[in-house]
Amino acid sequence: MKKIKKTFVSVVLLLWCGIAIYGWHLTREDAGNSSLKNVVIGYQAGDEFYISKIRGQFVKKMKDKGYNVKFKEFQNGAAMMQALASGNVDYARVGDTPPVSALASGTQLTYIAAGGTKEKGSGILVHKNSSIKKLADLKGKRVAYTKGTSSQYMLLRALKVAGLSNNDITWVNLDSDAASVAYSKGKVDAWANWDPSVAQVEITENSKLIVNGKTTGALNRSFIVSPTSYAKNNKSLSKLIIKYTEQDMKWANNNHSKLINKMSTDLKLSKKIVRRTVLRRTYSMQEMNKDIVKEEQEIANVFYDNNILTKKIDVSKHTQYLR
Amino acid sequence: MENIETAKHYQFSIKFKNSLPWLIPVFLILIWQVACNASWVNETLLPSPIDVVTNGVKLFKKGELQENMSISLYRATAGLLIGGGLGFILGFINGVSHTARLLFDSTIQMLRNIPHLALIPLIILWLGIGESAKISLVALGCLFPMYINTYHGITSVDPKLIEMGKSYELSKKDLFTKIIFPGALPTILMGLRYALGVMWTSLIVAETISASSGIGYMSTNAEQFLDMKTIILCILIYALLGKLSDFIAKNFEDIFLNWRVIERGQSNDSKASGNN
Amino acid sequence: MTQKLLEIINVGKSYGQSAVLSNASLSISEGEFIALVGMSGGGKSTLLRMLAGLEDVSSGDIIQDGIKLEGLNKSARVMFQEDRLLPWMNVLENVMLDKRNREQRAEALQLLKQVELEDYVQQFPTQLSGGQRQRVALARALMAHPRLLLLDEPLGALDALTRGKMQNLIHKVCQNKSITTFLVTHDINEAVRMADRIAIIKNGTIWRTIDNPYRGKESIADKEKEVEISEKILAEILN
Repeated sequence: MKKIKKTFVSVVLLLWCGIAIYGWHLTREDAGNSSLKNVVIGYQAGDEFYISKIRGQFVKKMKDKGYNVKFKEFQNGAAMMQALASGNVDYARVGDTPPVSALASGTQLTYIAAGGTKEKGSGILVHKNSSIKKLADLKGKRVAYTKGTSSQYMLLRALKVAGLSNNDITWVNLDSDAASVAYSKGKVDAWANWDPSVAQVEITENSKLIVNGKTTGALNRSFIVSPTSYAKNNKSLSKLIIKYTEQDMKWANNNHSKLINKMSTDLKLSKKIVRRTVLRRTYSMQEMNKDIVKEEQEIANVFYDNNILTKKIDVSKHTQYLR
Repeated sequence: MENIETAKHYQFSIKFKNSLPWLIPVFLILIWQVACNASWVNETLLPSPIDVVTNGVKLFKKGELQENMSISLYRATAGLLIGGGLGFILGFINGVSHTARLLFDSTIQMLRNIPHLALIPLIILWLGIGESAKISLVALGCLFPMYINTYHGITSVDPKLIEMGKSYELSKKDLFTKIIFPGALPTILMGLRYALGVMWTSLIVAETISASSGIGYMSTNAEQFLDMKTIILCILIYALLGKLSDFIAKNFEDIFLNWRVIERGQSNDSKASGNN
Repeated sequence: MTQKLLEIINVGKSYGQSAVLSNASLSISEGEFIALVGMSGGGKSTLLRMLAGLEDVSSGDIIQDGIKLEGLNKSARVMFQEDRLLPWMNVLENVMLDKRNREQRAEALQLLKQVELEDYVQQFPTQLSGGQRQRVALARALMAHPRLLLLDEPLGALDALTRGKMQNLIHKVCQNKSITTFLVTHDINEAVRMADRIAIIKNGTIWRTIDNPYRGKESIADKEKEVEISEKILAEILN
């Protein structure tokens, strides 16, 4: 009996070690090429760099120019900003609010490029049978948002457009997974969010947007940012990255079905949801310009005015105009 | 006849006892499935067990599941070996040397009370976002339970046994291998069992630091897209891995501490009776 | 006559302010079986521990073979009041302790046979009775071929029947190997049944010693003498 137990435990342990060694082997596979200069790019699933990654052309073209690109996936913008602050990521694709918060907390980063917006897929969700038909109906309702993200900016803008004050609604700060439960159970009446969650909720929860970014002006634009010192010394690399991602964005706009198929398997979302998300946005990548800086400056101002940021930020001081 | 009857009854009661721990999990899963079939719950919020399993099979066929599991297992094991090993060495040194105890112990006790997950930003700043950061976080989690238990185990070995060893002229090495270490082993194994638990919880968090692989990544990634099937699958995997490591730790105890299990009267030696 | 093995000369022991022993003197011959009796807390065990070198003397000297004893007494082995067996080792491993080679293993088995435990070599201490455990401890003590065996009330926790058997066994084994034995006990009858000479500890010193020539004799007359001596010792202690 004791012997059987011993053999059994040894077998389990051996298996354990074997699998662990296999896992170690898997983590070593992307160790990389030494003669090329490494460029670490942080991205989140479904974003612009994600498209460059799945298309595969980007890495090849960069390699021809002498760069070894490593894509690092992140779960949220805050973690990516931490990695950027510590110099572990050279370029990061982020939304419009994380860089503002990072700048306010003293992170030395520079805006390199601007992507497209998600204005049609960002807004305030309500159930179709809800009594809320227009923005003004939000008065006295409970609205879910996530503090410090685009959803908070969106909501602040929407209230302004509707002529409501900030105290006219009940603000319910929730993470997206908690918010989804609260929303579906009717614990909150509306939910400020963006794609692909919006598309998903629209389809699975029989909901609609009562307002989107076109009206509120909260466009939910993508940016590429880089540590300030890195940006200063790698202008030509930055230009290359913009050029090649721009090509990938054109590809994405012209190959919707391929993109939708790939995205729906990687994001584990139904094709219907992904299609809606993809079809209502235009992918693009361009150098920074004054208009876009103004847009971003507005976020910084609104956040500062509402005490979300403790420091005034001058976005143009942290921007590189590469054209 | 009566004997056979009682024997049968005995066998039955053993079987019953063995299956008792599984009763509640199985019951819960059944209720869950029934609730889903009867549409008492929203399937997008709580997919049925069968959906979760088919999703698991799908991920397995794609190779995603086993890759993520083995990478997680690697990180967990490496963290456990490094952190547990370090904790053992520190606990051992402080257990036997009074000077080392004075030098290190209060510092370690101070550090111990910092929730190690609060150190994530520091770990990212110092070690970056690669494998070393994830493994260090797991190691940090495993270090303290191992340290505390090794230290406590070694300092609480019966001093009478140590005195016996000294008076019987055991060398320092024999004193350690024959008395101090086996005497401390029950407590050390308890530390290992605890460290195994911390290992998994640390790993989930570690894998949210820019991971592109691992069970923790799978679940946080699924969370972002509200993919409940995968989230629940990951939770179940954690539960099973946790149970597996606990099982191994428990068997370690049974094997290495076999002297503890056998009680007087349970001897398997038929001669051992009435010969006093 | 027989040679002196140990000389205890004016030995004292105090812990801080309180003195446990003072001016205790006793000489022990080679091959002698001597018992030390007295009230509990009277310093019996302290004296034994000093002979073993487990404790230092505060004053006076212990001379062994003409040399002052310092540190651990390597020619002595102690059988403690608690058996102090290692619960994670089986009987044989407990007896062998740090010994490893084949001859030593054979010797350990031989000793286990002498203490009538040859059928228990693979058992763990938790599987044994109190008497059996003390027999393992005896075998373990004998493994080192000690010249001096120090028994610190090893039978104190046993029942009367087992005690009687153990007394005979220990006496027999020690006699066969002619080991000098120093027994500390609070049981006067035990002392009379086992020892050639009995030292009485009283008021923190060795009060006097009494010869016990009747020990081991089987006749009824001798048994009566034993009872007489016991009573005499008791009177000495209580006076």
